[in-house]
This record gives sequence, C-alpha cells and structure tokens, in this order.
Amino acid sequence: MAEETKKQDTGTLSGGDMDTSSVLENAEEWEPIETKLVVWSLVAAGFFLIIGLMLAPSSIFH
Amino acid sequence: MAKTQRAWYSGMLTTEDWWAVWLGLFFFGLGLLTLAGVDLVGWVAYPKKWVFSLPDGAIAKKIVTMDKSFYALGGKYSQTAKDTYKALGPIGSILITYLVFTVATTIGAYFQKWDVKKYLAGWTIIFFLTYLVWFIGHHAFFSASVVDLKKSHFPDMFTLSLGGGASFILALIVGLIIGNFFKPLANYLSTAAKPEWFIKTAIVFLGVKVGYLPIKAVLIGSKLGAKGSQIGHEMANLTFDLFVAGAAATIVAYLIFWPGVYTISRLMFKLPRKTAAVLASAISICGVSAAVATGGAVRARPIVSIMVSALVVVYAVIELVILPGVFTHVWPGTSDPIVAGAAMGMAVKTDGADAAAGELLDEFMRQKVEKESGGKIVWMEGVITTSAVMTKIWIDMFIGLWAFILALFWVYKIEKHEGDRVPFSEVWFRFPKFVLGYFAAWFIYLGIFFGPGQAGGTPEGVSILKAAKAGAVPVEKGFRKLFFMLTFMSLGIITDFRKLAEAQFGKMVWVYFVALVFYIIPVAIVIAYLFHHGMTIPNMAAIPGGVIN
Repeated sequence: MAEETKKQDTGTLSGGDMDTSSVLENAEEWEPIETKLVVWSLVAAGFFLIIGLMLAPSSIFH
Repeated sequence: MAKTQRAWYSGMLTTEDWWAVWLGLFFFGLGLLTLAGVDLVGWVAYPKKWVFSLPDGAIAKKIVTMDKSFYALGGKYSQTAKDTYKALGPIGSILITYLVFTVATTIGAYFQKWDVKKYLAGWTIIFFLTYLVWFIGHHAFFSASVVDLKKSHFPDMFTLSLGGGASFILALIVGLIIGNFFKPLANYLSTAAKPEWFIKTAIVFLGVKVGYLPIKAVLIGSKLGAKGSQIGHEMANLTFDLFVAGAAATIVAYLIFWPGVYTISRLMFKLPRKTAAVLASAISICGVSAAVATGGAVRARPIVSIMVSALVVVYAVIELVILPGVFTHVWPGTSDPIVAGAAMGMAVKTDGADAAAGELLDEFMRQKVEKESGGKIVWMEGVITTSAVMTKIWIDMFIGLWAFILALFWVYKIEKHEGDRVPFSEVWFRFPKFVLGYFAAWFIYLGIFFGPGQAGGTPEGVSILKAAKAGAVPVEKGFRKLFFMLTFMSLGIITDFRKLAEAQFGKMVWVYFVALVFYIIPVAIVIAYLFHHGMTIPNMAAIPGGVIN
C-alpha cells in the first residue's frame, strides 16, 4: 500500500508499472450509483440538447 | 486505513503533474514576452513536408526539399527576430531546441529525484531519435495530402495522406520496437522515457492553442475581407454559427458519449470501474489528453492511461484513412458538408488526426460537388476543415472541466465508504494539476484577445493580436507537437507487448471498436445534424473572380 501511495504521489510511470493484470480483470459489481451516473448524464444531455437547439442559430429548431 | 496529513502544496516540486505545470507555464510565459517586443520562443525547430527532389514545374510551397525539412518557427512568425531565427537553419534550430529543453527538463528531473546522469543520456537519445522520426514521418509519401500536392504543383505523386499523424505513428512504432526488441536499450532509456510528463506538458501548451483560436480567427478574417465583402460577411456569420453550434453539440455529445461507452465497457466487456472511466473519457472526449486527465482524476493506475493512449493513436489513424471517404460518399454526404465536418471533429480523437481527416474531407467534398455540379458550385476551401476543427477545439476545452467533475464524483460518490467523511482536500489532491496550467494559458490568451486586443476591432488591437500570435504559435504548434512526439516515442519504449498480451489487451481493442463504430460515430453524426443541418458554404463560383484555387 505504501508503495502504491508513493506511486500515486509522484505520478511517475516507468516500465516497472506495466503490469496490466489488475486493470482489466476483477471488475466490481455494477452498483446503483453507476446507474445514477449514467442516467443523470443522459438527463443532462437531454436538458442541454433542448437548450442548445434553442440557442444555436444553426440548429434544426431555427 | 491510516491517513496522513498532507499540505495543499505537497508535491509541487516533486511530481510530474506539477512539473508539467511549471514547464508548460514557463514556456507559455516566454511566449507572452512577444507582447513586449521580445521573441524568446521562435527558435523551436518544426518540420515541413519534404521530398528528396522536386519534379520539374513543382514549387516549394507546401512541400520542400530535404535540406529545408526543418525550420525555426520564428523565421516565419516572429515580428521582431525573423531574420535571426531564419539564420539558424534546420540544424541550428534543432540544436537550440535540444539545449533549451535539455536544461528545462533536467531541472525537473533533478527536483523529482531521478538519476540526473541517466536522465540526461536517455533524454538526449530520445530527443534526437524523436527528431529523426519526425523528419522521416514528414516525407511527402507519408504526410502529404491531395491539397499539399496540388499547391506544390505535382498532383500525381502517390501518398498515404496521413498528415502529421504519420510521425506520431512512426514514433510509437519505433518506440515499440525499442521497447520490445532492444530491451537493454529500453531499460537504459526508461529514466527519461516519461510519456505522462510529456503529455501533461503538451496539454498545458494545448491551453495556449485554445486561447489563441479566436486570435487566429480574427487575423484570418481580416485577410478574407480583402477578397470581397460578401465572402467576408458570410464567413463571419458562418464562423460564429460554427462556434455556437460546436459548443452546444460538444456538450450534448459528451453527456451522451461518456455514459454509453462506460456502460458498454462495464456491462458488455466487464471492465473494472476505473479502467472503464478512463476508456470512456478517451473514446468520448479527446483521446490521449482525456485519458491522462481522467486517469488522474479517478486515480487509475498509470498503465491504464498508457494502454488507452496507444489505442487512441492507432484508431485515430484508422479513422483518418476511412472516415473522410465514408462521410463524403455514404453518409452524411455532400448535401450536408458541415454536418460531416462537425461529426468528424466529434469522432476522431486526436487533434492531429482530426485536422488531417477534416482536410481530406474538405478536399473530397469540394471535388465531388464541383464535379457533380459541372463547376457551378465551388466551395471555399477550408470551411469543412474548420467545422471539423471547431468541434474538436470545444472538446479540448472541456477536458479539464470533465476531469474535475469526475474527480468530485469519484471522491464523493463512487469511493465514499459508509461513515467516512471525505475531506474536500482530497478533491484537490486528486485534481490533475496540469489542467491548471491548461486553463491559465487558455484564459490569459483569451484575456489578451478581449482586453488589449479589443477582439481585433481596432488597428491597435489587431497589432497587439499579431504580437501575441508571434509568441503563441511556437508554443501551441512547435512545443506542443514536439511533446506529443516525445510522448509517443516514450510510450512505445516503456510498453512491453508481452505483458499487454498476457493481460488480454485485445479486450480493450474490442471495447474501443464496438463503442466507436456502433455508438460514437452514429451518435456524432446525429448530433452534428441537429446542430449544423442546413449550414451552407459560400459558393465561390457565384462571385465574379471568386474562384481563386
């Protein structure tokens, strides 16, 4: 853990960090907060879409 | 988990993140001195497209002979030291570039407590190897587009039309060869092969580019005005419309792209959260830069950003080769050229590949419409390219904001354990600091534009903007691309394919492919359509004397 913390602090990347086994495996369970993140992003997209279509002079609303 | 108190300024002198800020802002500051009439950045050596010898009748405009394949940018853009920088020649400018960046980065290496001797030796090899690859990658065979050939009056040469992207790919390939087949050399170079540091520094330089954009637009516009008030008026309106539509389309695209790719990564391909977040940002936003920024925000292991960055580069080149033809002949087609351009900007994930793809698209579309109309419609050159670059620029602008939002969300929502109080300082420690340099550079140039530059509304303002341009171009063009090249070279050097293969790198390749082809590109076209449908390009054939190509 100490080593990991140090790595995070420096942000340094070297050849020794190329072990990829843990970054593609062992996916966590999908959690409700992720559903919220996805859904709220799409809701925000819908909101900005309407606002944008109203404001942009070149949009199909105009 | 034991927590230790950290001062808010911890790491300012010892981390790559902060050193990207210091390095980036130092050179940005040097660039600003042109406002005071002092040009200290024009020495940077920049490549030109070249051939061994020009054929009969050709002119050395876009493509030059080998002996002129590098030039000091100040020789073209400086207002106060043009002759001095011209006199440097290719070798002189490369040597000064080497000296300046050697001193600057070695100071950074010293404070980061790296082995300075090893860094210096490794840096020297990587630097000159990078310039050699930059040189080779700019041979016309790799880089010249149809437009370049046409302007140089030898349109028959066969080229791959990869633009500056060819050099990036070559740098990656050479790095990969060293990293995988010359391992003792790769180990020797590893002290100086720092892709994260280089890319973060390049992102600070990218802030200069974004801030410089309105300055560039005004200065180009003042030239266009001379060609006729009608074209000037149409272009001014079009540019403004592209600016607004690009902003709106980009925000919407973001918010649709990211959750979609994240969901595909997590549910279809079963990737861990942090990896999925970095991948989603890279595919949705701005490739390499977004991967690094998001990796910092969610505290993913650096290897994630590196793997994703490598994928971004490869896919960007594939897109560059395929999309201009598809967009011209299949969908959206010449009936909606600006839609196609804007969609390109949202679909191609590196600046270089996007600009090159936009330029190809511009050429393909103009040729097609001119041929089909029997010469009655001749679109102004560069408008489609501009539409592609405009959405991309907006995307670049939002990298930092998105990284910040993700950092907040990750700290307060994803990783918050029951009963834990997450101190606000954690957000600060997770925040990718180089983004501060990016914003500082952007806003200061924006301040110059609206402040003393008076948005180019007066002759005095234009004069100040011209002085600002002389300092901005070497930084946003020369320094930025050099650091991108160093990034790709270093990326290859530290990448061990055997380990990547063991870790099922292919899985990530498929996520990228599925997300890009079945989600990003179609959605990009639909969003581009909603915001750009019906926008027209000035027809030069309708104006007496308007066809100037």
